[in-house]
Amino acid sequence: MDFSAILSQFPDLYTLAGQFFVGMSRAMILFVVAAGLTVVMGVLRIVNFTHGTFYMLGAFIAFSVAQWLGGSSGFWLALLIAPLIVAALSFVVESTLMRRIYDQPRLMQLLLTYALVLAFNDLIKIVWGVHYKSMANPIPGSISLGGATLPSYNLILLAAGPLVALGLWFFMSRTMMGKLCRATATDREMVDALGINSKQVFASVFVLGCYLAGLGGTLIAPTTNIVIGMGMGIIINAILVVVVGGLGNVWGALVVSFIFGIGESFGVLFAPRFALVFPFLIAATLLMIRPSGLMKSVW
Amino acid sequence: MSTLFARFTEAKKILLLLLILAALLVMFFIPTFLSKYSVYLLTVILFTALLATSLNISLGYGGMLPLHQAVFFGVGAYAAALLLNKSPLPPWLSFLAAPLVAAGVALVIGTVCVRLRGLYFGMMTLAMGQLVWAIVYRWYEFTGGDDGIHGIAVPQVLRSIPAAYYTALIVFSVCLLIIYIILNSPFGIALQAVRDNHQRCESIGINIRHHQLIAFVLAGFFSGVAGVLFVILERSVSPSLLFWTKSAELLIMVLLGGMFTFLGPTFGAAVIIVLGVFLGVITEYWLLVLGTVLVLLILFLPQGVLGFVKEKISSSAPERKGVDKYAQG
Amino acid sequence: MKMKRNWLILRGLALLLVLLIGFSLVGGCAKPAPPQDQSKGAEKPVETVKVGVIDCYTGAATTYTYDALDGFKLALEEIKEEGTLGFNIEFVTRDDEFSPDKSLNWAKELVMREEVDLLAGIINSAAALGVSQYAKEEKVPFLVWGSMSDKITGEAGHRYVFSMLPNTAIIGRSGAIQMSSMPYTKYFLAGSDYEYGHSVVNNFWENFTEMKPDATKVGELWWPVREPDFTPHISTIRAAKPEVVIVGTGGADMVPFLKAVNSTGLNKEVKIWVHTATDLSTLKPLGAEAPEGIFGTNPYHHYFPDTPENKTFVEAFKKAYGRAPAAFALNGYIAGHSIAGALRKLDTFDKEKFIDALEGLTIDSPVGPVTIREYDHQIISPMFFGTTVKSDEPFLVAGDIVTLSGKDVIPPVEKIQAKRK
Repeated sequence: MDFSAILSQFPDLYTLAGQFFVGMSRAMILFVVAAGLTVVMGVLRIVNFTHGTFYMLGAFIAFSVAQWLGGSSGFWLALLIAPLIVAALSFVVESTLMRRIYDQPRLMQLLLTYALVLAFNDLIKIVWGVHYKSMANPIPGSISLGGATLPSYNLILLAAGPLVALGLWFFMSRTMMGKLCRATATDREMVDALGINSKQVFASVFVLGCYLAGLGGTLIAPTTNIVIGMGMGIIINAILVVVVGGLGNVWGALVVSFIFGIGESFGVLFAPRFALVFPFLIAATLLMIRPSGLMKSVW
Repeated sequence: MSTLFARFTEAKKILLLLLILAALLVMFFIPTFLSKYSVYLLTVILFTALLATSLNISLGYGGMLPLHQAVFFGVGAYAAALLLNKSPLPPWLSFLAAPLVAAGVALVIGTVCVRLRGLYFGMMTLAMGQLVWAIVYRWYEFTGGDDGIHGIAVPQVLRSIPAAYYTALIVFSVCLLIIYIILNSPFGIALQAVRDNHQRCESIGINIRHHQLIAFVLAGFFSGVAGVLFVILERSVSPSLLFWTKSAELLIMVLLGGMFTFLGPTFGAAVIIVLGVFLGVITEYWLLVLGTVLVLLILFLPQGVLGFVKEKISSSAPERKGVDKYAQG
Repeated sequence: MKMKRNWLILRGLALLLVLLIGFSLVGGCAKPAPPQDQSKGAEKPVETVKVGVIDCYTGAATTYTYDALDGFKLALEEIKEEGTLGFNIEFVTRDDEFSPDKSLNWAKELVMREEVDLLAGIINSAAALGVSQYAKEEKVPFLVWGSMSDKITGEAGHRYVFSMLPNTAIIGRSGAIQMSSMPYTKYFLAGSDYEYGHSVVNNFWENFTEMKPDATKVGELWWPVREPDFTPHISTIRAAKPEVVIVGTGGADMVPFLKAVNSTGLNKEVKIWVHTATDLSTLKPLGAEAPEGIFGTNPYHHYFPDTPENKTFVEAFKKAYGRAPAAFALNGYIAGHSIAGALRKLDTFDKEKFIDALEGLTIDSPVGPVTIREYDHQIISPMFFGTTVKSDEPFLVAGDIVTLSGKDVIPPVEKIQAKRK
């Protein structure tokens, strides 16, 4: 075997550093979406395809809010307002539709959320039209990090992931509401018997999850193209992250997001034509090793 | 036992049999009095119905949650296409081999998946299925990549629409009969018992994984057969056949028809396809309509249309517990 | 009790819905009304030619498909208004949801049930190739105005298919021709990991290395379609220290790619060529955030060429649809006028004669005369090579535009012949 030939094929340090940031960046975007989903799937036990739609709605609403306000401060206000609007919308969806199917078979719930995806796609087309939307980057420019250049805005993305994770962890383990959520997930009848309205808990969790989806959409909006169907691309990966990471386990979702992001970006280096395969390969492998998720379901 | 016919008395059974024969007779003469397009659409309905019925083997009867059945359809179609175009095998052998390839893929995926329960099972099928999709989508040299394969060398005799229709009709009837027999065989009854109460079955010594795997592979095989029918009719394949949204469409069909009835998936497939064509002609927002119909259906008719009818004719309570029970994760 | 009654009413409604579906099912299997044969009247009325348009009108590709459709509609309006054509052109549209098997379903519905005379549209390459195969078997003329795959009029070409827009072979060649006059030697190849991306880059590189044998490739990078964030890829490209980056990415990925280029300032260090980087569909959403100095090829700009023909077209388009036309609008517009141009040569409609009339047809268009090449049915239209610059408008435009003549950028017939062997 000719080792020098193999060695010369091996990418240099710059490339590796570059691919590392590819992975980190992807992981963070994936995580912000998956974090909300893992809460919903953990407590409500619903495979929520609509989550991707709320992510997309977040981006569209952020675009409109920023455009309406104008100026460079537009984005920061959108970051505040858009996820709240998404949360309000999700409350309407929860109280009119979701609430009725909590006792239905899993497949029904799954298909209901899928039906909403179909309907919302067309509704977004009616409201926002068919042309590409793009939002101005609030902090243009870039910084140098160990030879690799990183856009300043990506620092926000990189920070958003851990912040969301910490916030969720604090909410779930340190607040009364969070404890109620966990209790409801574990034993709903018991919570009801204690005189606590489990339906209200479910509603709050759903709204919280969708708020995070909207936040993800808003955060990604300045770096990407806001387009109908942008949720379809990310939702399958996000669902896999949640299941592989352990339902409801925020840290599990974080770890698996990293594995997905880094695995995919380094996979590109070695088998570029099959980059698409890596997330699924990783998910299948991890599920085979740990059939009920990488980390314990915290509930 | 929860098949549609089992509840009826002998006399009614004979009546039903006569009805089915009459329906087949009508179906046989359809190309003589319906338009060419209607015959084409019926062919589409036939292979889609077979596909939906095969999904129901593992979903409705097996109590599993196969979220990505379309993969086996796509693998069957691709196998037929590649064997016809690239191998020296005679066409009929290619047609026979393709469903076996699909069953083989189902065996591999199934072996991995049956170790898991409920939602995890579903997610595993989704991940493995998307894996197969990604390979088909990118393996340019072998599968034609995202451009697909077109102008597949289907034998000349099968190329007309009536020929494809008769092939589909015969294959569909035979396959449905076989599936019906399997589901009412001791194996099928054990499978439904596993679905309904899997602890009890384990305690009396039924090998649950074994039964579920067989059901999964059978479902994969018949999906592969549907894939072959697709190739005969369309002579063109592309990776979208294996994409997860295709599987979602199938689940909708099964749900619409009723997943605990034998003919429900067939009914659901027919309705979705016909609705898709006729609403698609009228409006560009057909998916909005489909989404709304689906929401209404889940809220008000969760047992599906045939399930609802069945509930009305038979006084006994509906059986719709299986899937949920094993979907507890 | 009231709950229960409501429930019953809702159930009734659901049942009604099911009945409705049942009726449409019955309707579906019934024979459609026989088409009115208008040519058999005592006094011959105007013959109608029906065009069946199939395209993706759901999801990400709609930016382009609606532009193309509006261009086509505008052409038909103009033809009607002018009133000298002996035919009446009608059209119907079908949404294939970017799914090739659905495109084929619709193609068959349009030909068999709707009984259209021509097929048109389709942005998805696999779908266009599949429908092209069907068009060949059914002998129905099919005008592609969406997919840029060079296979359509290349190795998979036949008598019944026409390409109304520059394909990847032309795109790659255009880029190569203009770039070969530049002094750079180190090139990096990158793109979206699907057929269009690879095809554009391969065609470029094939032509380019012929024209400039001393060019070297310093690296290659392929990212998945619908990459949400491109910024990190830029580091990889930068690390290879190229002088020029050749990019094959299209559709929805263009906007985030150019954003990443802008925010990392890659455009200030290296030259970048991307097809349609200078297109309105890309630059308008980007606004002031588009990077300057990007090389782009594009078949059409609403401000160039600065001719009366183009101005008239742009004014008419703006008046009809309230926006300026982007590149795809031209595809549909040319398709509409080409159909009319071919029909002018006919007395009664006949598919074979229509194809004969379309072969070698030259029509006037907003970008000057364009011709449908007789041999492979590929449209010969000019390509515009430009650089992104700031403008008076709130978005960037193409500057320093060089017009590459259609005859130069289209691969010679011999190359197509070689491919078809």
